[in-house]
Amino acid sequence: MPAVGRTYWLTEPCRIRREDNSVRVERQDGSPVRIPITDIRDLVVFDHVDVNTSALSLLSRSGVTLHVLDHYGNHAGHFSPAESMASAAVVRRQVEITADEEQRLAIGRSLVLASAQNLRWSLDTDLLDPALDSLNAALPGCGSSEAIMGEEGNFRRTAWAVLDQRLPPWLRLNGRTRRPPTNAGNAFISYLNSIVYARVLTALRSTPLHPAIGFLHADTDRRRNTLALDLAEPFKPLFAERLLRRTAHQKHLKQNDFETDVGRASLSKDGRKKIAALVREELATTVYHRSLKRKVSYEELIHLEALKIVRLCLEGQPYKPFRPWW
Amino acid sequence: MSPSADPLSDGAAPVGGVHITYLVHCPRQLWLYARGYRPEQRSDLVAFGEVVNETTFPRRRDVDLGEAKIDWVTTGAVVHETKSSRAPAPAHSAQVRHYCLLLERRGVNVRGGVVHYPLVRRTVDVLWDDDARTRAEDAEADAQAVIAAATAPERLTRDQCRGCSYLDYCWGD
Ligand code: SF4
Repeated sequence: MPAVGRTYWLTEPCRIRREDNSVRVERQDGSPVRIPITDIRDLVVFDHVDVNTSALSLLSRSGVTLHVLDHYGNHAGHFSPAESMASAAVVRRQVEITADEEQRLAIGRSLVLASAQNLRWSLDTDLLDPALDSLNAALPGCGSSEAIMGEEGNFRRTAWAVLDQRLPPWLRLNGRTRRPPTNAGNAFISYLNSIVYARVLTALRSTPLHPAIGFLHADTDRRRNTLALDLAEPFKPLFAERLLRRTAHQKHLKQNDFETDVGRASLSKDGRKKIAALVREELATTVYHRSLKRKVSYEELIHLEALKIVRLCLEGQPYKPFRPWW
Repeated sequence: MSPSADPLSDGAAPVGGVHITYLVHCPRQLWLYARGYRPEQRSDLVAFGEVVNETTFPRRRDVDLGEAKIDWVTTGAVVHETKSSRAPAPAHSAQVRHYCLLLERRGVNVRGGVVHYPLVRRTVDVLWDDDARTRAEDAEADAQAVIAAATAPERLTRDQCRGCSYLDYCWGD
């Protein structure tokens, strides 16, 4: 089922106003663009925007979420419609399942394992097999979310070192840094991870689930929507690491697509545009789904992932995190 | 009443027109809908249906029964329902019968109903008599039983699911 409306990526400074039932986007150069509200699924803001109350109430009434990425690509926050689709029946089950330590940890472990496997898939290498084996061996003994995340951290460090070998020196991660990212590679990963998180959040808002009741990140990150963080995990490699590797290979990104300072890096204006175009194209990429018997886009895969959690809550169907099958 | 009442269901919620439509189409859909899974709000098809509804009879008078919203009711207490689909379906007349039942319970002297298919310029009359009343009461009881069930009814066959807005949920594994 195709979602109503599209995602609009605002990569330049602009003003957002309401005009009847349209959103009017005014950019500094060029004439304003009007978008019927029914055409908008959500907005992703990469740069300064000036929004007024009447535009916000139109967004809210129409169920449109506005995501804000900060200068360094971190998800700075979002504006959500007042009404959500969350249903008491489903949220009640969600709370029960996540409060059950055993189930919560089991799902946490499977999320971490799937994400690691997806990372290996996206780097397309057997260099990671030993690290994957030791992750596999260590996970069953992890008795807390922190322990599980610790093991995931170990695996990721190895994976990033392997990834670095395939990147030009200026794009290498040299370890993961955030807030702010210290180099171009990390800035890239930050942007992509935030975009994936925003996609998951938007997907969750179209389900009866509550995005803040999660499994893996439940105890460690109280300020954020932990279920969205959880479900973003298995998709990050599909977008972040895979696209980093690909853009490096195709020399699509240039050094001047980033603004690098001592100890901090972010995307330049052109860099933001390039990334938005890249992600848009990627989200629209399709693969054939066997049981749905149709092509589904990567964006829809995220929606289907959210539905798996609905099935878990409503019908007790075990959750199997996303793995690419193609 | 039922010992296996589902803790997920929110008690004996009133049965509305959508419930009856879904019951006839697929009990599983009704069960899911009653628990708050409502993908139709995202579906283009439903959005289209709403547009048809808004534009076809601009002078209609909505009658809000709480449980069910009736398209419009003419002075003779005839229930009218507008559908954006091209072909009449059993669910459509079942829905109209349900509205007749609800109206009658409020003391309205119901004459019958009509389903409108503006896209094909057709109407289908729905009879309201003792037999229709029994069918409406049975459908209401069936819907309540489905909603109260502890587990979800089985899926239909894949072919029967075509066009259903719940397909992603039921088959998207
Ligand atoms: S997809 Fe099929 S099984 Fe699921 S609700 Fe629709 S018709 Fe019923």
